Amino acid sequence: MSNTTPQSPTFDFRNALNENRLVGLWRMMTDFRVSYIAATLSLAVSALAKTSVYLLLRFFADDVLAKGTRFGTATQTFLWIGLGFILLAFVEGGFAFLSGRLAAYTAEGITRRLRDFLFDHIQRLSFSYHSQTPTGDLIERVTSDVDALRRFFSEQAIGVGRIVLLFFINWAAILYLNVKLGLMSVVVIPFMLWVSMWFFKKVTKAYEEYQAQEAVLSTTLQENLTGVRVVKAFARQDYEKNKFEKDNWLKFLKGKILLLMHSLFWPLSDIVLGAQMLFGYIFGAFMAINGEITLGDYIAYVGLVVWLIFPIRNLGRTIVQTSTGMVSYARLMDIVKQVREPLTDGRVQPEGPVRGEIEFQDVSFMYSDGKHDVIKNISFHIKPGQSIALLGSTGSGKTSMVNLLPRFHDYTGGHILIDGVELTDYPRKYLREQIGIVQQEPFLFSRSIRENILYGVGRSVTKEEIEAAARAAAIHDVILSFPDGYNTIVGEKGVTLSGGQKQRVTIARTILKNPRILILDDSTSAIDTETEAEIRAALNGLMENRTTFIIAHRIQSVMKADLILVLDKGEMIQKGDHESLLKQFGGMYRKIYDIQTRIDEELEVEIARAN
Amino acid sequence: MAEEIIELEEEEYTSQLTAPVLKRIMQLLKPHWKWVVGFLITIGLTSSLDAYFTYLNKQMVDQGIALGNKEVLLRLATIYGSFILLQSAMIFTFIYLAGVLGERVQYDLRKLLFNHLQDLSLSYYAQNAVGRLIARVTSDTGRVSDLVTWGIVDSTWAIMNIVTSLTFMTIINWKLAIIVSIILPVMIFVATKFQKYILVEFRQSRRANSKITGAYNENIQGVRVVKALGREDENLVEFQELTTKMYRASYRAAWLSALFLPTVQIIAAIALGAIVWYGGVQIQIGLITIGGIQAFVSYLTFMMWPVQDLARVYAEMQHSIASAERIFKLVDTPPDIHNKPDAIPAQTLMGKIEFDHVDFYYEDRKPVLTDFTLTVNPGEMIALVGPTGGGKSTIVNLLCRFYQPQKGTISINGRDYTDYTLESIHSKIGIVLQTPHLFSGTVRENIRYGNLSATDEQVEEAAKVAGAHDFIVTLEKGYEQNVGESGNQLSVGQKQLISLARAVLARLELFIMDEATSSVDTLTESLIQKGMEALMKGRTSFVIAHRLSTIRRANRILVIEDGKIAEQGTHAELLRQRGHYYRLYTQQFRHQLEVQYGVSNELTGDDRSTVTADSIMMRREKPNEESVAAD
Repeated sequence: MSNTTPQSPTFDFRNALNENRLVGLWRMMTDFRVSYIAATLSLAVSALAKTSVYLLLRFFADDVLAKGTRFGTATQTFLWIGLGFILLAFVEGGFAFLSGRLAAYTAEGITRRLRDFLFDHIQRLSFSYHSQTPTGDLIERVTSDVDALRRFFSEQAIGVGRIVLLFFINWAAILYLNVKLGLMSVVVIPFMLWVSMWFFKKVTKAYEEYQAQEAVLSTTLQENLTGVRVVKAFARQDYEKNKFEKDNWLKFLKGKILLLMHSLFWPLSDIVLGAQMLFGYIFGAFMAINGEITLGDYIAYVGLVVWLIFPIRNLGRTIVQTSTGMVSYARLMDIVKQVREPLTDGRVQPEGPVRGEIEFQDVSFMYSDGKHDVIKNISFHIKPGQSIALLGSTGSGKTSMVNLLPRFHDYTGGHILIDGVELTDYPRKYLREQIGIVQQEPFLFSRSIRENILYGVGRSVTKEEIEAAARAAAIHDVILSFPDGYNTIVGEKGVTLSGGQKQRVTIARTILKNPRILILDDSTSAIDTETEAEIRAALNGLMENRTTFIIAHRIQSVMKADLILVLDKGEMIQKGDHESLLKQFGGMYRKIYDIQTRIDEELEVEIARAN
Repeated sequence: MAEEIIELEEEEYTSQLTAPVLKRIMQLLKPHWKWVVGFLITIGLTSSLDAYFTYLNKQMVDQGIALGNKEVLLRLATIYGSFILLQSAMIFTFIYLAGVLGERVQYDLRKLLFNHLQDLSLSYYAQNAVGRLIARVTSDTGRVSDLVTWGIVDSTWAIMNIVTSLTFMTIINWKLAIIVSIILPVMIFVATKFQKYILVEFRQSRRANSKITGAYNENIQGVRVVKALGREDENLVEFQELTTKMYRASYRAAWLSALFLPTVQIIAAIALGAIVWYGGVQIQIGLITIGGIQAFVSYLTFMMWPVQDLARVYAEMQHSIASAERIFKLVDTPPDIHNKPDAIPAQTLMGKIEFDHVDFYYEDRKPVLTDFTLTVNPGEMIALVGPTGGGKSTIVNLLCRFYQPQKGTISINGRDYTDYTLESIHSKIGIVLQTPHLFSGTVRENIRYGNLSATDEQVEEAAKVAGAHDFIVTLEKGYEQNVGESGNQLSVGQKQLISLARAVLARLELFIMDEATSSVDTLTESLIQKGMEALMKGRTSFVIAHRLSTIRRANRILVIEDGKIAEQGTHAELLRQRGHYYRLYTQQFRHQLEVQYGVSNELTGDDRSTVTADSIMMRREKPNEESVAAD
């Protein structure tokens, strides 16, 4: 089989969106239906072989022993029959294995491409989706719900088929032996199926309660362990022991209920099924004595009827479990139906880099909830290579404004032109290649420092280039001081970097990326005073010949910019360079400037007072 | 998620010395031995009856049908029917006994572990990640209780079934029974091998699975960076490598499982073929009946179930034993800090507190404090300032006796504080942590944590003193408002106020505060300040200070650097020195005024560190003072 060589057939799971969940699940099986059907057919062959074992036994009893049918000598005949049993076992086992393997291929294959699809889909969903959706919830869905679907395909879908096939094939065989016997063997089956479904629904509920109590217990435990200092500080050990004891005991009681249910269901249903079976035996035995059926018929019947009756309870269980798969399908489709951000769509498909001329014309933006403008009527124009600073307090719209440039969000009013072309005409991917962002809170991935510097650079880079970038970002020496140098893993498994160090790694990354437009989002705020000068120097080098947006809150950081915008509640209240803004007495810029001067003076007074 | 990764790590570890552990596991059952005897008898009977039913079928064929004797047949059927009833009663009993006993053993183990954890010292918590401890109490106890109940049930059933089946087979025809007993060990051997291979693949797939979860986590957390850098395509390729690994392992595990039963069955069928051939010959000479052959067919067909059960229990047993070893190791760990045999309760902490040439290091043995000496007068307010990692939190940890010095002494009222009982010290110290910790439950319950016997009025009085009352009454349900898991329904500032009220209620003599650096709105900030002042009035207090107002109010400021007092004195004295404090102060001053005038945001600073996937999943508290103390 070619199954062992991995192949990840791509499938757009958006095609599996359907009101009817079963239809949706069936669509998910695209490309795997043949193997799924083959798995089911193999099961049928396997079940047929099992049934044939008993028919062969019947032949052995009736024809060979009773009637004396022979192939060669008596011993040879017995040998043939013996070989027949072995052959049937091979057929049964072989096809059972084939079926299991095909079912695994189906379930694991579908799961793999579902995982791949979800991963890719999620990273292509919009910024707004991500800011609205808690990470924990997404993770829960892509792990537990995917696993529930895997079980649906590997166990439940096949399991229902297996039990149903087993039932009908064995039933057909019994009916073939004797219709009367066949009909009276299934009297309790519908009842039992109903009872077991009823029971497993109940038990699922009781189990959920048991699990809920387990969760309560875990929370108590977790809070106790994380708050161990509080517990010790208030010497509350006994109180905590009592609290845990209460939860622990309650869980024990819930477990007891659950076990009582199980310990009643299994033996009680055993009685019902056993009665049915025994009734069949007596009925069959009388028929055999009366000559209505042969002894062989009876022996075969005794073997076959077991496969008819007892799996019914599990059918009830499996049917109840499929509802879990259905719920998971719906939960995953909630993600799948979200619209992706088109990365490559754009009216223009430019060849080379942008020059970096940017013009805002009355730009406004509001989030899709549409309550109020986050920024409104912003207009300015800067030439390639110039720098523009945005000054304002938290919530003034600085970050929202720069987020428009890489099209993380699309503006809702006005125009933004880059090199004279409307921003929304550029493909998002192209824009993001042209723009480098040094974020306020640097995010590194748990991989080596080298990989973090190379992350998203998207071209092959020599070792020298990486080190040059690290040097320019004033981080090279720090990296070398780590035991594994550039191969040091960042995060829990390796070293923990300080905020400033992380920041410099992201600056090195941006240097390598070499974008035409640069956004520095309060990039020095997370940095300790000693390294601030170094980073400032690194950033100044980076800004050369690039159109740069600087977001800052200190005059010192913005005064050298070619253009300064002062923002307040999304509105641009002042625009100009440092000199001209300083002259606008009563303006916000002047006010901030004065405050900062005053702080220096107050500090002097404070110190003078101490002296 | 975290637990799963920890489990995966720990599965690697199994000790060779299983016998003593096994013995100790069995001792867990001692108090419940009646239950064990009960389920052993009932499962044994159930299993024997299963084998007997097959024999009864044979008798019905041979004695009833073949001879045409309806009377015998009905008699046999009556026996059959009554045994079905008897067996049902047995099944009821063993499911109930074994199941409830399993729950009980788990309950016992959890109680034992939890109570022991309460007594362990803080140093233990610094060395062992919370996730690990949780895994100990939740999953490890589950595995052990499964082993001592269902593990025993399954293996007893399997062994009894095999033994009784063989007995009946011997009764029917001993020569054919020998064929079965030859093939049986082969079946068990093959089954055990299979289970081991399957387990290996299964573990591989679990490991791959946790990596997949990690990748999802990191990519979602860092989605803004991914988008900004346009790295979607490479990420997908990397992710596909993981899913391919996962696919390979779980596909292999699945088809090995699918191969397992058929293989065992085929081995059984070979025996069956031999029996039919040889038995046929014997029928000729009247040594076996057709009913006997039928019985052999049944016995062999169902033989795979006990074999499978045995193999499974055996394979899982190693994990359960490893779990038990970890549990016992925890239970056997004595607390580092405990009362001396002749310890006396401390009457009061309102006395002179002296650190006398104290040396201290954490588990990594890097010296944190060396030759540290300090004398504090009753009622004094001490502010500790200085860089992170300098030793501020360690001083506080030692003072609270969460740790004890390796060299030198700390004395209260002129007496070495290890002469006092831990409880008497702890019950007189109030601690307000940087990130306040609340428990699930109502606001009232959380405040009352400070003094369990406090009346409702006293709780509200304490809240008023701490400045928490005003915001509490604005909550939808006031004092009865649920604070959510770890108090996460409230803001940090609100949690801080409640934890202040909790400390007020405890009526303490020594007060320790680790001031929050994180942003709290100005109003809450001033409430917290007032609450602190109320709390510190007339008490000795230590504050790891970040706010200028707090620092200025202190009777004495200690600048702690590299485990030493770099500078000490009042605010004015230190400013005049133009040293460390001067630099620290001016920087802080500038920043604070900027915030005050609204021209700057609160510094997020280094403590809000980068979130990477594994730091989320395995937030391990490192044994450095920062995380131990600043929590």
